[in-house]
Amino acid sequence: MSAELEKIYYFMKRDIISFSTYKTNILILVMTALFGALSFAYLGSNATMQSVLQMYNMNLTTYLLIGLAFNSYLAQSLTLIQKTINPWALEEVLVSPTGLTTFIVGSSLWGFIWSTAVVVIYLAIGVFVFGVTLSINIVGTIIVLALGIGTFIGFSMIGAGILILTKQGDPVTALITIATSLFGNVLFPPQVMPVQLQAISYVVPQYYFFTSIRLMLTGWTIPQILPDLLILGLMCAIIVPLGYAIYYWCLKTARRKGTLSWF
Amino acid sequence: MQNENAIQTINLTKTFKSKIQNNRTALFQRKKTITINAIDNLNLEIKKGELFGLLGPNGAGKTTLVKMLCTLLPPDGGTAKINGYDIIKQQMQVKRSLGTLFSVGERGFFWRLNGYRNLEFFAAIYNVPRQKRHERIMEVLKLVGLESSAFDLYQKYSGGMKRKLSLARTLLPDPPILLLDEPTTGLDATSSRNIREFIKNTVSQGSGKTVLYTTHYIEEAAQICDKIGILNHGTIIASDTPNALREKIKKEEQIFLIVEDITSQQIERLRSVEGVINLTENNGEALPNQKGLCLELKSVEQLPPIFDFLFEQKIRLVNFKREEPTLEDAFIELTRKAQL
Repeated sequence: MSAELEKIYYFMKRDIISFSTYKTNILILVMTALFGALSFAYLGSNATMQSVLQMYNMNLTTYLLIGLAFNSYLAQSLTLIQKTINPWALEEVLVSPTGLTTFIVGSSLWGFIWSTAVVVIYLAIGVFVFGVTLSINIVGTIIVLALGIGTFIGFSMIGAGILILTKQGDPVTALITIATSLFGNVLFPPQVMPVQLQAISYVVPQYYFFTSIRLMLTGWTIPQILPDLLILGLMCAIIVPLGYAIYYWCLKTARRKGTLSWF
Repeated sequence: MQNENAIQTINLTKTFKSKIQNNRTALFQRKKTITINAIDNLNLEIKKGELFGLLGPNGAGKTTLVKMLCTLLPPDGGTAKINGYDIIKQQMQVKRSLGTLFSVGERGFFWRLNGYRNLEFFAAIYNVPRQKRHERIMEVLKLVGLESSAFDLYQKYSGGMKRKLSLARTLLPDPPILLLDEPTTGLDATSSRNIREFIKNTVSQGSGKTVLYTTHYIEEAAQICDKIGILNHGTIIASDTPNALREKIKKEEQIFLIVEDITSQQIERLRSVEGVINLTENNGEALPNQKGLCLELKSVEQLPPIFDFLFEQKIRLVNFKREEPTLEDAFIELTRKAQL
């Protein structure tokens, strides 16, 4: 019996030592739990329901449906490029005469198509099962989606780049996920939070994306959301090239250190 | 003048920093960092059409060299030329000239696609023209003997089939130069032999491609390679044909005799025959009435006086063997010398 217990101890010891080498991952796990609890606390408050009615003139079901549908869309977009970093496949592609841009676009395209299909399913269930009423501004929706996807590809490239270096857990993806659920206007309007926290919402692109997409799906026009759209566009124009540069640099560093296939 | 070298490294260098963790290293403790010279000022030339074996123990730097040559790993010093193109400045041309098979190549495939679909993807990213793609895929599948399993799921392939598909992928763009990093690792004897024969007969001799073949199996390299380089601690310590490498460590001629009816006095007289440097008894293979004698001679010309002596003394010769050093002997001797 004691020999078996000793074996169990060594299994655990192996895992703890291995786990402790991924310090970034530990920090991310703690932060995600903390901020997740905060998000759901706000979601359940009365203030959320009143604020949604007041600001968007829609019921909580419609508000949450659009928020959750596009949150799943962006969450998938955020990890699309990371999912392509199978270290062995990455090496095989990098030794081929294929450029980095082709690799990124090619690796993530199907993921986007699938995510779009999932959003359509979400919205269809909302409309046909829960009686949600949508009045879609098609051009506006396409513009907002394009800017949102662009921004999240930028974030995804930053996250994927950092993952290439840290190997497990990247702080960027975790921060973006936390920022989206807490400050992104996904589950509750930021206006229900204390003023100091509300200020953070206005510097994260997710806030502008979710605000704009909700309005474009419920009958608003582009001129009505133009200020939010311009801010989102500006953020997209900064984050995409920044993401590409960081991804390129991380890939180059991992190649120089010879750690590309270490995971 | 046309460059005859398919692969040439010029003072190629790569160092790695590695963190050391021992039994006293506590959790979250900063680990000691050491620097390792994986490739150390390496100068190597491989001629066009040559099947060159790169032999070295584990950790010698074989995979690091392959990864640098295929542009995956940037060098810290020096450079290399592939098909005349610089691995730092002309990466795209280098990639177009190469087919690379990594030692864990099977992980780079997509397990839920069949063999054909996997190759179709790689054919596209290796710029195989669309009109020729199907024909080329079927051609390489036939070459490696996977034609009948082309549409089986990759996850159902055996280890040997996966390796063959890796080879097929390497051959797909029909590159003039192949880098094959331990292509038979983990395979059974039959699969290994099939792949070796395929590389020698079809790839090298059949199509005239230049092949850099890394392995730590000595006899494997001896069987198929035109020339062998021995890599140790990132440096080539010897490079020649397998026979010339054996010759390099051959100091004296060694012969082994099994004789009958020989007395101790006759053994002592044999010891003093001209040209005999040393004589030792080795009765391992001899019967009770026989003696096994191991003689070191200055050269093979010393053999006639020895046979004359045996004939004059009426000593019956039962067996005669000329001892040749193996490539393994050469490898061990040369790596030992390099460490001194």
